[in-house]
Amino acid sequence: MNYSVQLCGKKITCKILTMKLILTLAWRNLWRNKRRTLITISSVLFAVILAVFFFSMERGSYERMIDTMVRYSTGYIQVQDVKYDEEPSMDYAMFFDEDIKDLLKEFDDEISYHVPRIESFALAAADEVTRGSMVRGIDPGLENKMSELADDLVEGEFIERGDEGLLIAEGFAGILNVTIGDTLILLGQGFQGVSASGLYPIKGIVELSLPEMNNNTIYMSLDAAQWFYAAENRLTSLIIMPENPSRTDQLAEKLNSKIDSEWYNVLTWEEMLTDLLAMMQFDMAGTWVLMIILYIVISFGLFGTILTMMIERRREFRLLFSLGLKRSKLAAVCFLESVFITFTGAISGMILAFPVVLYFYHNPIPLTGGMAETIMDYGFEPVLPFSLAPSVFYSQALIVLIISFLVGLFPVYKVFKFKITDQKT
Amino acid sequence: MKTVIKTSNLVKIYNSSVAPVKAVDNVNIEFKEGEFTSIVGPSGSGKTTFLNLIGGLDKPTDGHVLIEDVDISTMKEGKLFDFRLKNIGFVFQSYNLIPVLTAKENVSFIMLLQKQSKEKMNKRAEEMLKQVGLSDRLNSRPSQLSGGQQQRVAVARALASKPKFVLADEPTANLDTESAFNLLDIMSRLNEEENITLIFSTHDQRVIDRAKRVVTLVDGAVSKDEAFER
Repeated sequence: MNYSVQLCGKKITCKILTMKLILTLAWRNLWRNKRRTLITISSVLFAVILAVFFFSMERGSYERMIDTMVRYSTGYIQVQDVKYDEEPSMDYAMFFDEDIKDLLKEFDDEISYHVPRIESFALAAADEVTRGSMVRGIDPGLENKMSELADDLVEGEFIERGDEGLLIAEGFAGILNVTIGDTLILLGQGFQGVSASGLYPIKGIVELSLPEMNNNTIYMSLDAAQWFYAAENRLTSLIIMPENPSRTDQLAEKLNSKIDSEWYNVLTWEEMLTDLLAMMQFDMAGTWVLMIILYIVISFGLFGTILTMMIERRREFRLLFSLGLKRSKLAAVCFLESVFITFTGAISGMILAFPVVLYFYHNPIPLTGGMAETIMDYGFEPVLPFSLAPSVFYSQALIVLIISFLVGLFPVYKVFKFKITDQKT
Repeated sequence: MKTVIKTSNLVKIYNSSVAPVKAVDNVNIEFKEGEFTSIVGPSGSGKTTFLNLIGGLDKPTDGHVLIEDVDISTMKEGKLFDFRLKNIGFVFQSYNLIPVLTAKENVSFIMLLQKQSKEKMNKRAEEMLKQVGLSDRLNSRPSQLSGGQQQRVAVARALASKPKFVLADEPTANLDTESAFNLLDIMSRLNEEENITLIFSTHDQRVIDRAKRVVTLVDGAVSKDEAFER
């Protein structure tokens, strides 16, 4: 038994020593021509920095858009009347009945909280100005939990459950030229064509980050809105916030399987924001094309370095084969050289990119001029935010890994084709 | 003395673009254990090709190469690599050492591939470098050694793994007189001490004068085979 253990231990030690030799040869070979290696590493490094920077910027914009839309508009999951998504009308406000409440109880451990809403258009009339508005009936406590609406209060007081007062968006207050204490007339169409009208005092003014919302939104308590629209116990949407947002799709699927699909529909934020997502994907594709071109250029530079290293070492290869080093081991050395160069560049690039991205994450780039106006036209804040999502970094590592693998195949091929007694050596 | 190498009707033809070239022409020869042999001949006589064939670096067009009765001429490449590793040492005219390894690591290289233990490897490497007078240059890289010192490290490496024979292709060609003599002294001494067969291909009269046997090749065939008492 001792002999077997000793033999096994010796085999393992030998394997380790051989691995160490291969790694040593590969690493030291890189530094035979320091300048060339550093130039090649630098090209990978700068490509990675550029790629991380642009992807972080792009993803940051998308994350901000999605986060804003989810917080202020869609939530993660919505339960709606089955026809509401196609035709968002008060006539398709769903009944918030016991079936729905039971459903919420059934999945209580997966649902963090839910936010009821009833919203529709109405004319808002002040002394001299009348404008169309989005009137949103909310449960103030739950709405605040989701969107932290109370933090946006700039004047007056926040509304409470059962309140008859309104919260008006700051931009809209400016358009209507109203302030705290003023009264607004709201006129609209309620459930099943009933006329909706009412007089409401302004209790508070909120500043909303989305300019489009800031210029037309009014909040009132859910009870007051349901009365205004003659839609008691009805909601246009029931927003569900999951305990674990990353499991939104799974929760939505479960709710869909339990709910009466003849009357209700369960939608995720991705299904509600399809246009936005499509726009993002299209935009992202453009960035990917640019990055692919960049990486192809880098790959050729890397290939040139590897090719030069191969050509200048023909005599060394002959020596190594003569000494008894097998082709597979030499191929491993050459392959590792490619991997080491690319990975050194990639890791250095990511390390250097991180503080840059971190700075812009905390200090988004403000946009001005035409670009700012364009962004605002889409209803978003005119800044370029950055993302610190790990995928921004490791996606580049993955690309670099693929490049090093593909480029590394060339020396492997050459090693296996090498003729030991070729006259050129 | 036992026969280490035996060639039987050995032929090598290169199919060049102009016309086929018979580099080795029907060579039948034997080398005994412990011999110190020079292979001489004009340029193009087939010396290097002959060494490549008996070293297993090339395959003959016809004929056989037997190393202690093992026919290497028909061996598959993988087995040939292993055979070369265990049985044959090489010293070339130039570019003998792995540039990124130190002198000690170069000498240990073959023993590491042979999967010898670390202690045995280190001990043997230091011992061989001491034998060639380079015990103070263990951690020097080839670029830090002179031409003569590099060749001495190459000799140490070739002999460290105790091969059956060592093939040296013009090992003194790039050396000055003093370095060449030093190298030859070392190789002669090790040949006697370790009883390892040494076969040189050379133009160098200094080497020829040391050899106990001189084989002359002309146009790929053995024209003379002389033994000397030295």
